[in-house]
Amino acid sequence: MNAPDVDAPLVERVKQGDVKAFEMLVVKYQRRIERLIGRMVRDVDLVPDIAQETFIRAYRALPQFRGDSAFYTWLYRIAVNTAKKSLMELKRDPLVTESARAGRDEDDDNPRVENEPSDAATPDAVLASKQIASAVNFAVEALSEDLRQAITLREIEGLSYEEIAELMNCPIGTVRSRIFRAREAIAARLRPLLDTREGDRW
Amino acid sequence: MAIDSVGDSAKERLSALADGELDPAGSTTSCAAWARDAALRADWHAWHVIGDVLRSEDLASNPGHDRDFCAKLRLRLQAEPVVLAPAPAIAKSAGARFDRRARPSRWTAAGAVAAGVVLVVGTFAVVRPGEWPAAQVAGGDAPVSIAASTVGVSPAEEAAPQPVAIVDSKVFRDAQLERYLEAHKQFAGTSALGVPSAFLRSATVDSAAR
Repeated sequence: MNAPDVDAPLVERVKQGDVKAFEMLVVKYQRRIERLIGRMVRDVDLVPDIAQETFIRAYRALPQFRGDSAFYTWLYRIAVNTAKKSLMELKRDPLVTESARAGRDEDDDNPRVENEPSDAATPDAVLASKQIASAVNFAVEALSEDLRQAITLREIEGLSYEEIAELMNCPIGTVRSRIFRAREAIAARLRPLLDTREGDRW
Repeated sequence: MAIDSVGDSAKERLSALADGELDPAGSTTSCAAWARDAALRADWHAWHVIGDVLRSEDLASNPGHDRDFCAKLRLRLQAEPVVLAPAPAIAKSAGARFDRRARPSRWTAAGAVAAGVVLVVGTFAVVRPGEWPAAQVAGGDAPVSIAASTVGVSPAEEAAPQPVAIVDSKVFRDAQLERYLEAHKQFAGTSALGVPSAFLRSATVDSAAR
């Protein structure tokens, strides 16, 4: 794809020493990276640890990222390599899992076998994700035609503002505003589900 | 919902940044606002969940999990040395970009000239070691002249590599690279040979990543 990388502005900020810009990329890609790792590693407990390791390795290697590929493609490769490395270590040393090695200081007296399932796998968590998915779909359906088309062309088709402006026959500024208003409208329906705990922790 | 126009446009800019449609100056402002404002961070998360779910419903993960993940990673990032890439300065305009690109060639040209002068002088000193110092001892008699020339040979040869070293350390490095290497000295095994080892280490990470 010849289209410029959507993450280029944030990557540039990170290269100039802005750690927060990297956190923004983490918030953006954490779900996709965890799903990718989850497909490679069977133990759900290991997935967040390997994802953490992936982002740390990416952060360290970022000065060498030249933008030859999209940032996400590059991050994806790091995730695959990190997961492979963890699987190899597990094969070599099957009893010591990453999470155990990370040191759960406080539960030293508990036997290691009772690995409680992570929140990604509990029925509550599954229900919460389902609710989020249906809230998003419901909110998209409720949008006006203009807003729905703009957000769909952007998020599903991956078109640039310029391409969407051409398709919708309107100025780029209008595209920007429609996408923003669509996001706000959907987020308004999503917020009660997302802010289940202390909402100011982000 | 009462939305003041300033706050609204900051949000709209952040939305544009999410799509990679914001210029460098706007990105800088937006990132700073994100770092300051917890509400903007919550928006940023919500918008990306929306995008993820629109593309694939199984990406709708537990929001509590997302927050924990990011909080944990933030702690780990705080322990990391700040990343600084060698090339970028604040690219405010396309002009600045071109300036940056032009600079290495200017330095290369200066370096080439310096190296050329060194080469000529060095060659001269090596090929005709006796005559140069001898000429400086003008009007001296023969034994003095010979003594001067024998002494003169070795300083001339020693002097030749000296300017080359200066070319290596000063002219071919630019100030930004210098700062980068300074910042990453802790990665390099040795400070004197910081240049190659810093890059060697990075290359290992990079190739592992690919």
